[in-house]
Amino acid sequence: MKNALAAEWTKLRTVRAPFGIVAAIGLMVVAGAALSWLIVRDYDGSPAAEQAEFASADSSVVITPVVQFLVAALGALVATSDPRLTALTAVPDRKRLLAAKTVLVATAAAVLGVVALATSTGTSRLVMGDRPPPIAPWDGLGDVLPWAGAAVLSILVTGLTGLGIGLAVRSTAVTVVVVGVLLWGVPAVTPMLPEPWDVDASAVMVPYLVWEVAGVVDDPPLSPAAAVACLLLYALVALGAGTVALLRQDA
Amino acid sequence: MIEVRNLTKRYGGTTAVDDLSFTVHPGLVTGFLGPNGAGKSTTMRMVLGLDRPTGGEALVNGRRYADLDQPLRHVGALLDPAAVHHGRRALDHLRWLAASNGISGRRAVALLEQVGLGGVRDKRIRALSLGMKQRLGVAAALLGDPEVLMFDEPVNGLDPEGVRWIRDLVRGLAEEGRTIFVSSHLMSEMALTADHVVIVARGRLITETPMEALTRNGSLEDAYLDLTSGRGL
Repeated sequence: MKNALAAEWTKLRTVRAPFGIVAAIGLMVVAGAALSWLIVRDYDGSPAAEQAEFASADSSVVITPVVQFLVAALGALVATSDPRLTALTAVPDRKRLLAAKTVLVATAAAVLGVVALATSTGTSRLVMGDRPPPIAPWDGLGDVLPWAGAAVLSILVTGLTGLGIGLAVRSTAVTVVVVGVLLWGVPAVTPMLPEPWDVDASAVMVPYLVWEVAGVVDDPPLSPAAAVACLLLYALVALGAGTVALLRQDA
Repeated sequence: MIEVRNLTKRYGGTTAVDDLSFTVHPGLVTGFLGPNGAGKSTTMRMVLGLDRPTGGEALVNGRRYADLDQPLRHVGALLDPAAVHHGRRALDHLRWLAASNGISGRRAVALLEQVGLGGVRDKRIRALSLGMKQRLGVAAALLGDPEVLMFDEPVNGLDPEGVRWIRDLVRGLAEEGRTIFVSSHLMSEMALTADHVVIVARGRLITETPMEALTRNGSLEDAYLDLTSGRGL
């Protein structure tokens, strides 16, 4: 397992695409900080009545869906970028290969998620200063941690989902499209369903699950524990499909 | 030693390999001949555990390839030189393969020099010529200093110098006592390289024989065409 993991890490760091993904995440954090600054500048120049109507200036809320998508693309790359013929000749134990890829993607997703969330919430905090809610939504570290933790968990889940779908469909492009539909396409449609399906279906969509996991939704359809289970189910179903494909298919 | 026992592979209603049995012995170059679609590549893929047999088994030194710990130390294979990430540098390609089997990265550097790619080790694979990619594939096969080596059409894309280099390499490896299994369409090349021949057609074994027995009454090409056209020797 140690050798397989070392090989996967060497593969990841010796091609350009993962560095592009990390750069894109960095760019999102910087763009998010700039957005926070613009919102705060607008807030400071507005009358008190309008200030009460301002949305949060925390950029982590804006960048999290993009980071989810980028990390899912990273998972897809780990699954699909190297031809299976060579990968399985070097590591013919398919379960070991799967385990190495899973550990690598989980670790990379967790690290990227923590760094992105810590940086974006930290810079937002600096920009917002001691301004009151609603522009500053968090009332201290204890307040922001449930949201940040939920966001990191969602990034971890989308990374593993990208890996699982990639192993199942064996195409980076198809995986990225499927992940885009799951993260953005379907959640855009579910609110248009007739009652009560609109609420029920939206409650199990990734963008809404993050808020339910954080426990910051009033009267949520799912408890935080149920939302965590639902979020994890995305990764488990995708990894299950990827495992079946890897174990049963010819290279 | 490679042992293929009653190996069968079916894709739906199509039989690619049909109850094939033969043995590849150490110390010899065994040529694997057959027309296009005869099942040569499929057989080699099943030996490496890449494709799952419908029936039978393929063993390397008495064990299935998938059961070998650090398999690159036992078996080296060049099946498809294009089966690489073309955006990776040549040396990095060997480095990840080395890491996967606990092989020193210094061995990767030395092998690139040995196959004549020392000067392009930091070039991305997409910038290498077909012949250079073939040499990189040979270096990957030799990475674990294995006892068993399998080459599928190893001289494809090589210039005359490269063809001779492969021939000398393969002969030298066999003289060291290694098991060498080589498929090729080039009869003249195989006649110069192989000691033993396995001929297949439509997935079935036509003959398994020493080269000298096959060429006693004429050229390898004549014997091959007689056998694969069903006219016999």
